[in-house]
Amino acid sequence: MSSNQRFRVNAPTVTHEIIDGEAVIINLDSGNYYSLVDVGSFIWGLIEKGASATDLQNRVLQNYQGNATDVDRGVQELLGQLQQENLIVPVDRADGFDQLHEASSSNDHEKPAFNPPMLQKYSDMQELLLLDPIHDVDDAGWPKPTPDPPK
Amino acid sequence: MSTPHVVPSDSPDKEKTSRAVDYFESVYELFKSSQRVTGPVERNYSIGGHLIRLSFAGEALLPISSALEHLATDDLSTPDLTICLWDSESTGQRMFQRPWEDDDFLARGVIQGYNTERIYTVFQYGSAAVSVLDKERNLAIFWVPDPNIPYWEKGAPLRVLLHWWLLSKGLQLVHAAAVGNSSGGVLIGGKGGSGKSTTALSCLESDLSYIGDDYTLLGMDSGPAVYSLYNSAKLNSDHVQRFPELLPKIANPDRLTEEKALLFVNEHYPSKVATQLPVRAILVPRVTGLTDTTWKRVSVAMTLAALAPSTIFQLPRAGNEAFKFLAAFARPLPCYSLEVGTDLSTIPRAIEALLAEVDSDSSLQEE
Repeated sequence: MSSNQRFRVNAPTVTHEIIDGEAVIINLDSGNYYSLVDVGSFIWGLIEKGASATDLQNRVLQNYQGNATDVDRGVQELLGQLQQENLIVPVDRADGFDQLHEASSSNDHEKPAFNPPMLQKYSDMQELLLLDPIHDVDDAGWPKPTPDPPK
Repeated sequence: MSTPHVVPSDSPDKEKTSRAVDYFESVYELFKSSQRVTGPVERNYSIGGHLIRLSFAGEALLPISSALEHLATDDLSTPDLTICLWDSESTGQRMFQRPWEDDDFLARGVIQGYNTERIYTVFQYGSAAVSVLDKERNLAIFWVPDPNIPYWEKGAPLRVLLHWWLLSKGLQLVHAAAVGNSSGGVLIGGKGGSGKSTTALSCLESDLSYIGDDYTLLGMDSGPAVYSLYNSAKLNSDHVQRFPELLPKIANPDRLTEEKALLFVNEHYPSKVATQLPVRAILVPRVTGLTDTTWKRVSVAMTLAALAPSTIFQLPRAGNEAFKFLAAFARPLPCYSLEVGTDLSTIPRAIEALLAEVDSDSSLQEE
């Protein structure tokens, strides 16, 4: 992956919200939903603003205590997961990411420790989407009633 | 079959709009033809502050209104929305051949090519119902082949039509229960089987009022508020044994081997049903196996994750808009995990204590 690669949230398939530092993300097509906390939510917020992979690494290093190798690996792995789940897609956008958009802590002692971001995935809603909609049809082409109620 | 979910509306070109409007008009003509044969039967309801008229072709589908009876009104003024209901079995009026292909059935029964900004069309697989809404005319049609609709439709009738129309009035249908008292209400979110019904029904013998146990309406115009939609309650047949006082009140006692127990709360506890309450907190129930019911603060994001997906994935054409509504609704509210105990009497006591605590916290913040 190019370090200058930028992404966008895969809207309208994906809807999301960050509340009090936690991101909730829903893939409306797959029925899966996700949460990101701490540095994961921080990175999600930056992706939304158009940060490239390099921007993400720089910004995480500015705001969290960790070494560059660990941060690089953590960011790349998260970007890979987010793409695999179709939550973000690469874009060719050339416009830059505002590096000064948010003030960062200059004192390492004030920064929280970097822990690799974890994308928490929930698949318990899929059953609502995986129903085969076409069952037997009547002579006017209408699907017949199904025996099972909605969940 | 792959069924893409994101179909907020088909592209608003004139051809599709015209086709959808023509389809609505054709179905409406069938309804009027049915009603000429059977005679009209009308019922009026005040739902979320809006006057909604159910106009039936005959009486065969009247039982569908049991879940709404607590909202019945004698107001005969011009309704904000009219829903026309008919069935083929009792009226003898057949529905015409569907004009779309198999591939046009999308997720949640949304019909591709017949959904525009103005016209909403859905096929409900469970009851084989067709629901069509013309938002511009505030007119909707509900058709089923057979008036003997499944118990879950009797428990939450016209859910899709009401969801679509009420959303345009600033009210979001949500998969959540609600109870409360003079301090306000708590919204109880979570997927099916999470304990919403148990929590809500355990409050029937307490001082708490009942707003709903499965689907309710949320509004934000005057602060976060919850409105009652259905007075029905559903419980797994094995679960209902935990409520011996409810057993003689079950509406379908002879079918509990294949159906959930259905109870119309308004028929047996009319004074317990409240139509609206300001929301003071959101609870996500968690069954613990311990005796007592307690609570602990949880994040708004976690609560939103419990509330939003189970709402969105049940409702046709719900997606980003519903999610943003629910996020905005939840954001200012304190959220809790309700650790539901095995002693059901501890549930309403815990909720009353929690409401008092939230009330006290609010008073301190105001000082």
